[in-house]
Amino acid sequence: MPRTVGIDLGTTYSLIAYQDKREGRPKCIPGPYGTPLCPSVVSVDADGSIIVGEPARRRLLTQSERTIYSVKRLMGRGPADVQDELKIFPFRIDPASKNVIRVRLGDRVFTPPEISAFILRELKSWADEYFQDVVDRAVITVPAYFNDAQRQATRDAGRLAGLEVLRLVNEPTAAALAYGLHEQKRGRVAVYDFGGGTFDISILKLISTTEGDIYQVLSTNGDTHLGGDDIDNALQALAREELSKQGVDLAAHPDTVQELRKALIAAKHELSDAAKTTVKFPLPDGGDAALLGARQKTVYFREITRAEYDRIIRPIVDRTMGPVRQALADAKLTSAEIEEVVLVGGSTRVPLVRSTVEEFFGRRPHAELNPDEVVALGAAVQADILEGGVNDMLLLDVTPLSLGIETMGGVVAKIIPRNSTVPASAQEMFTTGVENQTGIDIHVLQGERELAKDCRSLARFQLKVPPGPAGLARIEVKFLIDASGILQVAARDLRTGEEHKIDVQPSYGLDDAAVERMLEESIEFAEQDFSERQLIEARNEAETVLQATEKALAREQEEAPGDMPAEERHALNGAVTSLREAVAGKDYKRIRAFVDVLNQATMPLAERMMNRALGAALEGKNLGEV
Amino acid sequence: MDFSLSRPKPHRLKPVLLASLLESDFMSAPTTTAATSATCANCSAPTGGAHFCPSCGKIQPLPRGTDFFSFFGLPQKLTVDLEQLEQRFHSLSWKLHPDHFARASDDERQLSLDRSSLLNDAYRTLRDPVARVEYLLGLAGMRKEGQKKQQAPPELLEEVFELNESLDELREARASGGTAAAMAGLRAKLEAAQHKFEASLAAVDQELARVSAEWDAALDSGADETASRKLMEKMNEVLNRRSYIRNLVNGVRQELAES
Ligand SMILES: [Zn+2]
Repeated sequence: MPRTVGIDLGTTYSLIAYQDKREGRPKCIPGPYGTPLCPSVVSVDADGSIIVGEPARRRLLTQSERTIYSVKRLMGRGPADVQDELKIFPFRIDPASKNVIRVRLGDRVFTPPEISAFILRELKSWADEYFQDVVDRAVITVPAYFNDAQRQATRDAGRLAGLEVLRLVNEPTAAALAYGLHEQKRGRVAVYDFGGGTFDISILKLISTTEGDIYQVLSTNGDTHLGGDDIDNALQALAREELSKQGVDLAAHPDTVQELRKALIAAKHELSDAAKTTVKFPLPDGGDAALLGARQKTVYFREITRAEYDRIIRPIVDRTMGPVRQALADAKLTSAEIEEVVLVGGSTRVPLVRSTVEEFFGRRPHAELNPDEVVALGAAVQADILEGGVNDMLLLDVTPLSLGIETMGGVVAKIIPRNSTVPASAQEMFTTGVENQTGIDIHVLQGERELAKDCRSLARFQLKVPPGPAGLARIEVKFLIDASGILQVAARDLRTGEEHKIDVQPSYGLDDAAVERMLEESIEFAEQDFSERQLIEARNEAETVLQATEKALAREQEEAPGDMPAEERHALNGAVTSLREAVAGKDYKRIRAFVDVLNQATMPLAERMMNRALGAALEGKNLGEV
Repeated sequence: MDFSLSRPKPHRLKPVLLASLLESDFMSAPTTTAATSATCANCSAPTGGAHFCPSCGKIQPLPRGTDFFSFFGLPQKLTVDLEQLEQRFHSLSWKLHPDHFARASDDERQLSLDRSSLLNDAYRTLRDPVARVEYLLGLAGMRKEGQKKQQAPPELLEEVFELNESLDELREARASGGTAAAMAGLRAKLEAAQHKFEASLAAVDQELARVSAEWDAALDSGADETASRKLMEKMNEVLNRRSYIRNLVNGVRQELAES
């Protein structure tokens, strides 16, 4: 049974998949509603219990204050970063948030990794159920353009969900893996991944070598805050503006805003195929809808044609093309040199997106794969590669952003350029600038800009140096970006040869201690996990069987003492004792096994009871009735 | 731990190649003695500095100061067969990538991380003809922070002077809302300058390629230290000039993008 899964932790939907070893292909695991798509929505009930997925999405309309969607937008970001987001998204950020954002849901407060962990935990329970076994290792996908803090937040979410995160894989690369497996194609491929909240473009080279196929990423670019959400928001802004002109203000009706959002998303989906659609949406009670016309007094009624829709969303779609051009330039390729364009992500269903991409590359994009599932499927393949299953595929990914350190005057010295194949490293030598300086402060940043203030601060730490004349110390620091795109730092004093332990404090995110603390808390609050649940169920089942056996024995003793052969009695007693012992332990599989043994051992007994009951029934009837 | 004015800024030494500190004679054999005398921690067999123990197959620690050329098993030459380099990169990636050590011991996982990151760093540097020269000079201790500067080529001084004038005019015109015709004229001037600088960049790249070839030839014919040092000084000078022109090209490109 495979115990390592691939997870696509998406802005709108999340999925979990595994590599089916028998069929040699990845498959998505369906949830309780029959679909593998789990809405990335989390809600907190009045009693404090956590609701995830489809039921949580329904609560957006009735319990919007207790429910959150698109939490991926908040991962790895500080309160100051999300001010623009707050104008559009109904996130209720706790005012006490410092470096790490805290979101209020009802009367409880959570960090984005904790909320994401609830989604991961839900998906994990689907897999546990599917395999009837505990799944505890996973590959999780992230947008290729995620920075270090966003990646760390995702990894923390995995840990909080009780998963060992073997690797973070970039979403377009995962998609390429699934695509390559499916199509057996080689050459230069562009993956255009337009999801619910993020946009990525990756340029890859698919190469056949004697050892197997290499998927080498040449360049990647994107925007971690651009997605289908923005299309929804543009439509919403239009509707609310029209409504406010008519004297209807929805600001005081958060549930109604969600109702409107739902209606507009439905319209968006319709416009993927139809030439026009009509938005019909009931206005809140007390809304002065007289201006909306006599016929639809309390309903917002609006026709949208494809042409108008295209006009509204054109600026959003155009924003994807800057990153596309940059990625091509970085790969030193022209659009004509791309041999295949693969579309990934739900937003690539939008006709304007398809036509824009087709026009740019001068070729029809490949859209045969299910754009919702392909990322999770690729993650499952990568999970199997790490488990040693698939051994003829190798993924060489890159870091999306340059890594730098702050130097004199707040200028950033780039030490690992963007699009370097990971793992990548850089060694830097540091010394003291003044006499008897005891520490050297290092500020690590990510980004393409010249000045530290314009780049993303990743971490600050201090190198300790023994006091001495300026410039005497020689500290070598090794910065390493691992295969998940996460920074590791190690330092060594070259004069003493001593390794330094570096305590890197993330600028935005949780430190290890905080994650540990949350992990403890989450266990208190979380539903019982799968094995615990299984143990309880198995014990209940065992209790039922034991009681039934006792009753049956007592009854036979009463009705037909001596009917049971000694051999049978011996086996039965043995089975009862073994099951009692198993129930005292914690292995639910062992309990289940002895339940089966006892059921087997009681079969002759049950048969005799049936016969006696049947005999008694026959005795009381006339022959004609039989 | 904020950076305040009173706190000394980190003082960074560049480039940070260990070899440059050790003042090693870079003309000698590429592998360090530490590498060739190494033995396998697992089975004690001599490893000869190989990636894997020839006896038991375990991945080996990376000797400190391993340079990019020797990692790829290449001489310290500036002409590199890119196709061959890529093939070698792919075949080493299969062997060293962390994917294949996901279930190995912590030690082996670390060694895979060390070796595969060096592999990627080395490939990134060696496949680029300019980075390759910079790296070679760095190995020889020829391109430290102080020795790295931009040098204005005399033949470009006239153009640079004109460019600065055009840029000033452009900024003024932009600030005062100049006419479309005036803006277009300035833009055309900038574009002409851009072409000129791009041509200079191509020329300096060719020059670098020529000196690189000279270097390889000198190495083959066993040239003495003085001759080699002279060639390196020449390369250093070409790099400084290149860096100046490169900045010009980028600067004008940015101005054009903004206007
Ligand atoms: Zn060995």
